[in-house]
Amino acid sequence: MKIFYQTFGTVKKKFTGLLNRFFKKKRTRIGIYGPPNAGKTTLANRIARDWTGDAVGPVSEIPHETRRARKKEDIIISGANGNTVVMDIVDTPGVTTKIDYHEFLEFGMEKDEAIIRAREATEGVAEAMHWLREDIDGVIYMLDSTVDPFMQVNIMMIGIIEARNLPVIIVANKIDLPDAAPARIRSAFPQHPVVAISGREGKNVEDLYEMMLEYFG
Amino acid sequence: MPHKCTKCGREYKDGSTEILKGCESCGGKKFLFVKEEELNRDVLEEKTIDEIAEESHEEVLEVVDSDKAPKQVEMYDRVETIRIVSPGSYELNLERMAQSDERIVSVGKEGSYIIDLMSMAKEEPKKKGRKR
Repeated sequence: MKIFYQTFGTVKKKFTGLLNRFFKKKRTRIGIYGPPNAGKTTLANRIARDWTGDAVGPVSEIPHETRRARKKEDIIISGANGNTVVMDIVDTPGVTTKIDYHEFLEFGMEKDEAIIRAREATEGVAEAMHWLREDIDGVIYMLDSTVDPFMQVNIMMIGIIEARNLPVIIVANKIDLPDAAPARIRSAFPQHPVVAISGREGKNVEDLYEMMLEYFG
Repeated sequence: MPHKCTKCGREYKDGSTEILKGCESCGGKKFLFVKEEELNRDVLEEKTIDEIAEESHEEVLEVVDSDKAPKQVEMYDRVETIRIVSPGSYELNLERMAQSDERIVSVGKEGSYIIDLMSMAKEEPKKKGRKR
């Protein structure tokens, strides 16, 4: 009898898997990319909190707090007109071309700890790039709007994302700060949709959600 | 066999993990293996533990503080593919080079990296499918 239930269980699992493959739309996997300290995890936390009630990971003012990619699955976002889209959000480590442990020392970190952080951050960049290569269907590219967007990393990353034909939304974050200049980001990337938000205060995130429905739905 | 601190003589049971942090009483880092029956010889014969060590020819164990001596990262554990030791002097991590086309350059001793994003954006070479 036990064996019967076991086989029944596996058959059922296989059958539902088959059904899902035919009738359920594949979930879109959205990667949140951007340079360190742009507010990627803050946004990932906000999205997760707004739509599932959970958090994704810890945030800090020291760059490279996120050194492993974190995934939050089955986030259902619905828009004003009733459209819904199911997506997985991948919060990735900050992508940069240079990592030096000295920058962490300024935050009062011990040397040994800073060296380990630099090493992990480097592995994090490789992991973020790996996700982009293998398993991402759309990109939210986060930028700190108080910082000059014409950095080599940003130009290169947008180029890589374009080369892969991935839909991208550029987010000009931190508009709650006094020296934020989201217009600078708009003029830097005129070929892509740009939305100005404050991930920390939640300002304009609804606009971002509408845009996500439009571009990733 | 139990251990005895060579400095203060405090006894520790065989295999006790406390001694890894040093003696609890005096902070001593050296311990001697002593035979069960000779456990109190130092007191009875009024000898220092070093003298007993010489007589018994047992090795004195020294606890090394693992936190203070950071482990050298082995070549195959390194994240970088190329290390610039000093201008004109390079170390190549062949293992990593063989695994992928990703190029991470490390500058100087440790904790400073330059990452070639373009090398990471490339598609992995596809394995040839077996066609019949």
